Amino acid sequence: MKNFSFMRLSLWFYLAIFFAYLLGPLVIMSVTAFNSPGFPRMTPWECLTFEWFGALFSDERILNGIWNSILVGFGTVILSVSMGLAGALMLTQIWPKLRATYYTVIIAPILIPGVVLGISTLVFWDRINRMLGLGADSFLSNGLFLTIIGQSTFIASYCMLVLVARLQRYDIALTEAALDLGATHAQAFRKVLLPFMKPAIASAAVLAFLASFENYNTTTFTFGEYPTLTIELAQKVRYGITPAISALAFIIVVLTVFAALANEANLRRKELVAKARKEATVEELSSGRIRMPGFLSSNWAAVALVVVACATVVVVGTATVYSPQQCIADVQEQKRLETEERINELRRQRDLRRQQQQEAEQGNAAEPNQSQPTGNNSGFGNVFAPSALSGEEEEASEAEEAPSGNNSGFGNVFDPGSLNSGQDN
Amino acid sequence: MPRFLKEFFTRNGVGIGSLMLGLVLFWTIGLIILPQLSMLDFSFRPNLPPPEVGGPKDVYTLENYKYLIFGPEGGGQAFNAVDLKVFFRTLVAAVCVTVFNLILCYPIAYYLAQSKGNHIRIFALMLIIPYWINEILRAFALRIIFGETGVLNTLLVGSGVFDTPFDFIRNDIALYAGLGYAYILLMIFPIYNVIESLDRNQIEAARDMGASWPMIHRRVVIPYAKPGISSGCTMVFMLSAGALAAPQILGGPSSLWFTQLIYQQFNDNSDWPQGAAYAVVLLVTCILLVLAIMRLFKVNMGDIGK
Repeated sequence: MKNFSFMRLSLWFYLAIFFAYLLGPLVIMSVTAFNSPGFPRMTPWECLTFEWFGALFSDERILNGIWNSILVGFGTVILSVSMGLAGALMLTQIWPKLRATYYTVIIAPILIPGVVLGISTLVFWDRINRMLGLGADSFLSNGLFLTIIGQSTFIASYCMLVLVARLQRYDIALTEAALDLGATHAQAFRKVLLPFMKPAIASAAVLAFLASFENYNTTTFTFGEYPTLTIELAQKVRYGITPAISALAFIIVVLTVFAALANEANLRRKELVAKARKEATVEELSSGRIRMPGFLSSNWAAVALVVVACATVVVVGTATVYSPQQCIADVQEQKRLETEERINELRRQRDLRRQQQQEAEQGNAAEPNQSQPTGNNSGFGNVFAPSALSGEEEEASEAEEAPSGNNSGFGNVFDPGSLNSGQDN
Repeated sequence: MPRFLKEFFTRNGVGIGSLMLGLVLFWTIGLIILPQLSMLDFSFRPNLPPPEVGGPKDVYTLENYKYLIFGPEGGGQAFNAVDLKVFFRTLVAAVCVTVFNLILCYPIAYYLAQSKGNHIRIFALMLIIPYWINEILRAFALRIIFGETGVLNTLLVGSGVFDTPFDFIRNDIALYAGLGYAYILLMIFPIYNVIESLDRNQIEAARDMGASWPMIHRRVVIPYAKPGISSGCTMVFMLSAGALAAPQILGGPSSLWFTQLIYQQFNDNSDWPQGAAYAVVLLVTCILLVLAIMRLFKVNMGDIGK
């Protein structure tokens, strides 16, 4: 029994490490979006700021990249879902002999490295373009077309896998019945097969859009004059990183969490409704007075969704009334105070040491200790080092003069009270 | 018209049938087969300025492949040590990343597949969410963590493990962590799918017979999960060997990934045939390596992608 609980404990420990590795980077990245230093970092925490979101939304290249990504995404969704559907239908009808070869060919793009796909697309369509005698600015060599084509090559394979899974449960007799009843092929396809495939088509489309939106390896060879968001991000990240990218990442993380929770809540609700129907009596069902479960009851995903929504509203609300200028000023003030505090502290220490030395000199006047003053001298270097960081040169030089000139007035100069009054000015 | 084509059209109707056929042919031939062949053909040609393409100088040559092995002609070296080293380092590192991911993910996949309850759905959601975030942003997140003044260094120096910040990026630790991070889901899902269909009674039976946990995994679970494991390993290996974003963002300044060499040939040197040759080498080597390992572990190609 003890062995068992030990295994449980180590399992939970392992799970904790695993999910920390998985989610930790995203959390840390999101947090850096709200910290004010120009380099994205979590420690030291300086001040809550929303200015990076402003910086993000005023960045022309990012906005243009988002627009291009959406364009490419729509093109890819249309092309790859239709090719995936055709490919999946073909898989159910193709000659058994050809089936394995055909399956290998249409599944291969998933395994081919994206770089290779990008290059082959670029090389092939460049050649077609030249064969047709078109110039360098024709639609074939323009980035939009190439990117859509290149991405669709492998995204269609993903769509095909999703669609085939649903198609395997389709009863071909349904189409045959429709044809027997006098429907044309087009009608049977549109009114029988398509409605059955609708959920799978929807999820294939979402998958295709996401895959297109985040693709980098293929797009980096084909984008031409249409740099997508991913390309712009890569350029920015490679040549200097700012928290504005963290801000974008935070927005994407929140949207993703939203979508995932909404989807989960929806699924869960459907399950609960189905369960309620199953448990309802015939009378309740026929009278239509069946008691449906509430939206939030025993649905953790819905609860989490509402919580996230409220948190978003609060954050956005705070951001509109919150003034970054005030915040930055506060941070600078705080930094100044901290530096002064540190100098103050060091001075007090030196003061203490000096006093001790004086006492020692007075006490042991007969045998002067050489080692102690040298130790003190090295300590001086440390004392004045922090002053170089801030605008405290005058005070520092004043302090430098003080010990050499007048030893008796020394204590007053470093009185903490005098410094505090100086700060108030 | 051949008989099978006629059958196909009577089954699907002429309109829908020809649309379907057109789309499939465009995809398989126009997008998959011809571009690959075109790239292969291109890799055997010299790098010529556009006006000379198709001219007398445009002949087949092994020059680009020779360059990878022997380096520039008259370069004074027996082999192109730089590029070859990058090539083998990429393959070895990709294998290491794959093994690391397998060891990390197998227990998780087993746990998720064999336990029931509401928390499993939460875990599944937590697994999928990072996969929806942009690849670049995931690499960026790791860069924030592994940077010289990053969270990890602050923690390690703060707790006194190191005196000075450790350069994770120059030592490629950030790169390996990033590659492993990027493809966790692709390793977990195939293994999860297979183990989920494993009858729990088999494990119970093995336990009743007195098998220890390592024995159960070695004799019952792993043989059963082999298709999933090989599928996951193939995907992770191919994707990490062909990764471009993570090496560009997380790689050290002195260490390159093979895909970065290809990228340089295309974008910096404008030597497309050379880049195409490198791409062909990468593709062929990866496929051969995967096939060899699949034969070694006796797994069929048909199991991949399930």
